[in-house]
Amino acid sequence: MKLLSTYLKEMKIASRGFYFYIEIFIAVLLLAVLLFVVEENPDSKFEEYLYFDMPQEVYEYMMEKDIASGKVRDGEVKELTMKPISFDVTNKDTGEVLSYDYTEEKKVDVKTIEKINTDTGLIKTTAYIFDNEEDAVRMSMSEGSIAATTTMNEIGELSYRYFQQGYETERFSNILYVLHTFSADEVNAQLDQQVIRSLGASERMNNREQVVPVFVVFAGSLMGFFIIMSYIYLDKDEGVIKAFAVTPSAVWKYLLSKSFVIITTVIISSSILVIPILKLKPDYLIFYIFLIITSFGFSALGLLVSSFFDSISKAFGVLYSIMIVLMLPGFSYYISSFDPLWIRFLPTYPVLQGFKGILLGQTDMVYVGSISLAFLLAGALLLSIANMRFKKSLTI
Amino acid sequence: MLKKITRIFRKDAKIATRDAMLIYIVLIPVLLAVGILFFAPGVTDSAIKFAMLENDTEEHIDYMEQYIQVELFDSESELERRVSKRDDVVGLVPRGNGYEIVVEGNEDESVIDSAKTMNSLYELGATRENTTAEILSFEKTVPPLKTMLANMLILIVIMLAGMIISLGIVEEKSDNTINAINVTPVSQNNFIIGKSMLGVVVAMVSIIASLVIMGYSDINWLMIILVGVTSMILTFVIGFIQGLGSSDVIEAAAGVKLVMVPIIGSIAGYELLSDKWQWTMYWSPFYWAYKANNMILSKTADWGTILICLVAVTVISMLIYLIYMPKIRKGLS
Repeated sequence: MKLLSTYLKEMKIASRGFYFYIEIFIAVLLLAVLLFVVEENPDSKFEEYLYFDMPQEVYEYMMEKDIASGKVRDGEVKELTMKPISFDVTNKDTGEVLSYDYTEEKKVDVKTIEKINTDTGLIKTTAYIFDNEEDAVRMSMSEGSIAATTTMNEIGELSYRYFQQGYETERFSNILYVLHTFSADEVNAQLDQQVIRSLGASERMNNREQVVPVFVVFAGSLMGFFIIMSYIYLDKDEGVIKAFAVTPSAVWKYLLSKSFVIITTVIISSSILVIPILKLKPDYLIFYIFLIITSFGFSALGLLVSSFFDSISKAFGVLYSIMIVLMLPGFSYYISSFDPLWIRFLPTYPVLQGFKGILLGQTDMVYVGSISLAFLLAGALLLSIANMRFKKSLTI
Repeated sequence: MLKKITRIFRKDAKIATRDAMLIYIVLIPVLLAVGILFFAPGVTDSAIKFAMLENDTEEHIDYMEQYIQVELFDSESELERRVSKRDDVVGLVPRGNGYEIVVEGNEDESVIDSAKTMNSLYELGATRENTTAEILSFEKTVPPLKTMLANMLILIVIMLAGMIISLGIVEEKSDNTINAINVTPVSQNNFIIGKSMLGVVVAMVSIIASLVIMGYSDINWLMIILVGVTSMILTFVIGFIQGLGSSDVIEAAAGVKLVMVPIIGSIAGYELLSDKWQWTMYWSPFYWAYKANNMILSKTADWGTILICLVAVTVISMLIYLIYMPKIRKGLS
């Protein structure tokens, strides 16, 4: 009962504060941005600059063939501006260096073709078709996208020249080499013989939905870590914890009630975003249980850290460091090639993965269950250590 | 006047050093810069990974490792569990005389196409030696993602500088020293400049150190310092508005969260919006600062564009300052 009344009192105080409404405002704002600005399935912005060194009729035949297959479609003619620039290009095979020097700005009209994802109809790549290799290379250098020249010799054989930026990995370059070892017909014949076995997943988060797990973890749970510390220091300034020493209520109840305030705020702000975006996809019961447990874990961490410092200024460095480190899995979430082993040990990594599965309605119960158990135990442990520290000092 | 401003700056620096906050704030962006330096090469690797079995032939594993990142597993069930995880890892297991491609089922078409192509090339016996392709390189060393991360780090540092000012003022308010300023020879303007200097100095030191660590020592430093300093005008304004408007640290923290909205929005807008929609972000000084920094870090900046960005950042920041000036003055009274 004491815990409940403390929680209700804390909620009442929190609801009078600015922070509570900022949380709700940000959730509503992000919801509006996601619904009205972010496309669910946007076209790719990937671009390439191409030059076909071959008779016009051969080029047109190749294009018609690709367009008929549905993989490519004609785009608009676009005007490109090339800035004055000078640079060197090194042939990786021969070591030969070519120097380019352009002192004047140049505008060119180029045809575009759009490479299409046949499953979704979305644009995979926009290719700009140049009349000469020099312009394609110049654009590639200044814009940072790949350029390629396809050359046909007198006997109809094709060869390729790729212009890379230089920071691509060796593996990526190797793929470009090995792609051009057999004719397209030979490769296509082999492609038709490939056996694919699907493990059955069909749902994939769209662009809009992908933002939601990040918001729930970073803007919700992790921010709770920060805010609970702010609450504690505010109460410390006002002498609330000292008052607890002369009341029959235990300090742990006070600390737990603070966690509940954070959890309530996180539940409200997360629901504002999750329900309209994901609709009926998530397993809501599991979602809310997981949200409560992980928010509890992060807020318990906040309580423990706050027990070591007298003021937010003194705690600021540690607080900031922990938050930055815990945000690193966000990079791995968005950049799938960046997934080093060490990042998987940060607690926000499994939480992000857990929320992603739950929100998609594809909950891996063993995974989510084990993460929940770990957070519950860790949260209880951190809370009890924080409780011991606060009881000892009685000066939060 | 300069003496008074410097005195306020020295006092703030002393307090911040005592709390180790100053050291953390300079150190953390530097540590992040080191992190970016180390993991940036990994993010430019191919996006697709193969999960293969340890008991597969060494020759097959070696072949694939030349082209794709490979993870090895000791059983097919372990491999399938890996494929089922959220990222695009495709399994490759021996079946009969060939190989079966195991997919989760929700991969992008291009991922499955890439896996099919790599397996086809292996089965055809394709090697780099027989290629009809040649590769030329501009020999750039900085991937665009690293530039994006470095640019984001700059904005984080700028935001942090605002936080320093904001928290400093909240503490001054709780100590009732704000009112005391009015009975000293220090004018309100001097107080504002003096309080802001710590944030500016700390932010600039952090930005310069971080960029040097990340390998950007050959950029146009004058441009980056000019963009940094003009962005700081906004930092002063935000720091003061937050600090004076907040009655306690909770409100200051909430204010920080609120400032993150236009910062994240500006980065997302610049990176994700198509050219025809970029104008929708012109209201944000963070957008102009991010744009200018992006051009400077990628070494494509020209003075004309940078000056436009500088003017935009300054004018918008000054407008915000003028709008909030009465509130700042009232808060200091």
